[in-house]
Amino acid sequence: MPTKMIEVKDLQKKFKDNIVLKNISEHVNQGQVICVIGPSGAGKSTFLRCLNGLEQPTSGQVLFEGQELVGLSDKALDHIRQKMGMVFQGFNLFPNMSVLKNIMIAPIKVKGTNEEQAKSTAMKLLKQVGLADKADQYPDQLSGGQKQRVAIARALAMDPQVMLFDEPTSALDPEMVDEVLKVMRDLAASGMTMVVVTHEMGFAKEVADQIWFMADGYIQETGKPEDFFAHPTSPRAQEFLKKILK
Amino acid sequence: MKKHHILLLLLTLCISLIVSPLGAFAASSSSSSASSSSSQVTTTDDSLQRIKQKGTLVVGTSADYPPYEFTTKDHGKTKYVGFEMDMARQFAKDLGVKLVIKNMDFDSLLVALETGKVDCVIAGMNATPERKKSVDFSNSYYTGHSYMLVNKSDQAEFKKLSDYKGKTIGAQNGTTQYTMAKDDIPGAKVKGLAKLSQLVIGLQSHKVDAVMADAATAKAYAENNSNLAAIKVPMNTKVPGTAMAFHKGDNSLRAAANQTIANVQQKDLINKKYLPAAASHMKSYKKQNTVLSYWRYFTKGVEYTLIITVLSVFFGFILGTLFALMRLSKNKLLHSIAVCYIEFLRGTPMMVQIMFVYFGIGAIIQSMPALIAGIIAVSLNSGAYVAEIIRSGIQSIPLGQTEAARSLGMSKKTTFQEVIMPQALKNIWPALGNELITLLKDSSLVSVIGVGELMYETQLVQSATYKGVLPLFITMLIYFVLTFTLSRILLHFERKMKYAH
Repeated sequence: MPTKMIEVKDLQKKFKDNIVLKNISEHVNQGQVICVIGPSGAGKSTFLRCLNGLEQPTSGQVLFEGQELVGLSDKALDHIRQKMGMVFQGFNLFPNMSVLKNIMIAPIKVKGTNEEQAKSTAMKLLKQVGLADKADQYPDQLSGGQKQRVAIARALAMDPQVMLFDEPTSALDPEMVDEVLKVMRDLAASGMTMVVVTHEMGFAKEVADQIWFMADGYIQETGKPEDFFAHPTSPRAQEFLKKILK
Repeated sequence: MKKHHILLLLLTLCISLIVSPLGAFAASSSSSSASSSSSQVTTTDDSLQRIKQKGTLVVGTSADYPPYEFTTKDHGKTKYVGFEMDMARQFAKDLGVKLVIKNMDFDSLLVALETGKVDCVIAGMNATPERKKSVDFSNSYYTGHSYMLVNKSDQAEFKKLSDYKGKTIGAQNGTTQYTMAKDDIPGAKVKGLAKLSQLVIGLQSHKVDAVMADAATAKAYAENNSNLAAIKVPMNTKVPGTAMAFHKGDNSLRAAANQTIANVQQKDLINKKYLPAAASHMKSYKKQNTVLSYWRYFTKGVEYTLIITVLSVFFGFILGTLFALMRLSKNKLLHSIAVCYIEFLRGTPMMVQIMFVYFGIGAIIQSMPALIAGIIAVSLNSGAYVAEIIRSGIQSIPLGQTEAARSLGMSKKTTFQEVIMPQALKNIWPALGNELITLLKDSSLVSVIGVGELMYETQLVQSATYKGVLPLFITMLIYFVLTFTLSRILLHFERKMKYAH
């Protein structure tokens, strides 16, 4: 039996009168790579942000390793977030810190890791994302692709059990998309549990264990990539795929 | 939540500090009529015993009034001299206690007496019926006339009372001369200022045509300044005698003063000893009375200005951060308290705040020195401005920064300290610098409650040297050097932060 890492039950999210998520129930197993795809405005990002409590659901449950997240105290939530890395569309690197410091700060300030240890981990991760030579630069001096790779390294520095990606390549120039996808591919191959909101269909097809197709606030259908892309069952998915694959 | 509780506690403390003097004022004013009558009948008056117990007699004066009281320098230190100061020394000696002299504006003296900042006032004060309503006077020991101080070149113009018609007459605020000029000289405009020395400057620059003052004082100024002349006023200028003023009901202390006065008068010490001594002081410093010889006054002033600035910046920054966070808080109560604080402190003049803290809160905490009161007032005021600057700084940081930090497991506090604040600080640095420079300059307002900072010392030099413009000019240069140095330092750090980027 695979262990459930994240489970969502009857998740609903409203912004005032606007219902963004409508009763979603799904789960992510350990080691799985989930790609969440769908038209913009479907609620994909909101859904992802509900998973680590950046958004508070209006109703329903989010469980991480069996523990309920909704309604937790700030402190308890901080503790759980350490185990869930997140990568944003807009990188959100800390502009006032060097690349190295960006990666070191959370382990030092949150886990109490000593400076030396944090530094050696950071350097190892920078090597892993191919940016060892950029350690002493500042985010302003990096290209978009490099920034996103640093952001991934920063999230990995906390040694998370799951990584959440919120459209990690959408803000990149096309020639930089591949360098970021390569890092993500390596990560998936290493067995990391990942939930990726993306528009990169090639990546989804190749790397995902499961595709979750979202539209109009629902997960319309789920399935293995080869099945989903060949035979989408829901009319919304058929329409969506027809549009992008044209 | 815990943090909120602490904030709330702090705030309640601040508010109660601000509000409680109001209550005390109301209480004291409503009970004063009752207590003054009852105190004479029932309560035993312990004023004399109180002074002896604390071992000091605090005398309030306005030391720009030669030969009554004025300052001279003694090995670079300010020394209060004049015949009334000699009387004060005698009084303290008779009581067997140490004399402490507090020098302030004449029109602040009675407030200081009522709020217990001083034990008695010896300041060439005439025992007028109006004043008798709020304070008790000792027996009178000196009776003077009033004279007019005019520019020598204009001397011929003032012969009759009607010559003053349409002219501007200066007088010190709160003095008998001020009332006299206003009521008894028909057709004259009266200009009141806090310090006689300022009026004399006004006279020399023809802002006023004549300055009405006590005869002895007017003559002293004329003797020390060859451009001025002291002339008689063609009317009856006899005023009620000069006396020491006491808090209402301090009868035992007043009786002791009358004892001292009786002794002094019996030996005729005022005319035989005190006045000649005052005259010699005035002569002795006339010889070497250059503004630059008072450089120690300026250095002392700079020292206190810097103390006030540094401490107020420190506390203002803490208060500012606190109130900025409260204003940004989702808690409606905290938010509205912060808004009230900021709006109120920004919406009232700093000078009023300084006096309110000193006389108002000082009425409750009697022992609070003027310096502390000044620092509290300036810090509170600066806190309001800094709060708005910090709020704008925090709001200028994109939400993504907070989200990234929180997604890494950082707590709200760590996120604020490590991610938001350092970036915000860089953004608001120029605005903070601006506030810092404003604060340094505005610290000069603290001089109104008698704190010996640069502006206050400047006024001392003005009245000691009988020169108005030069000390001001020097002080202006000193302020400029201070602010210019400060702005260079700030710029240095601004650049440094930019390079670290």
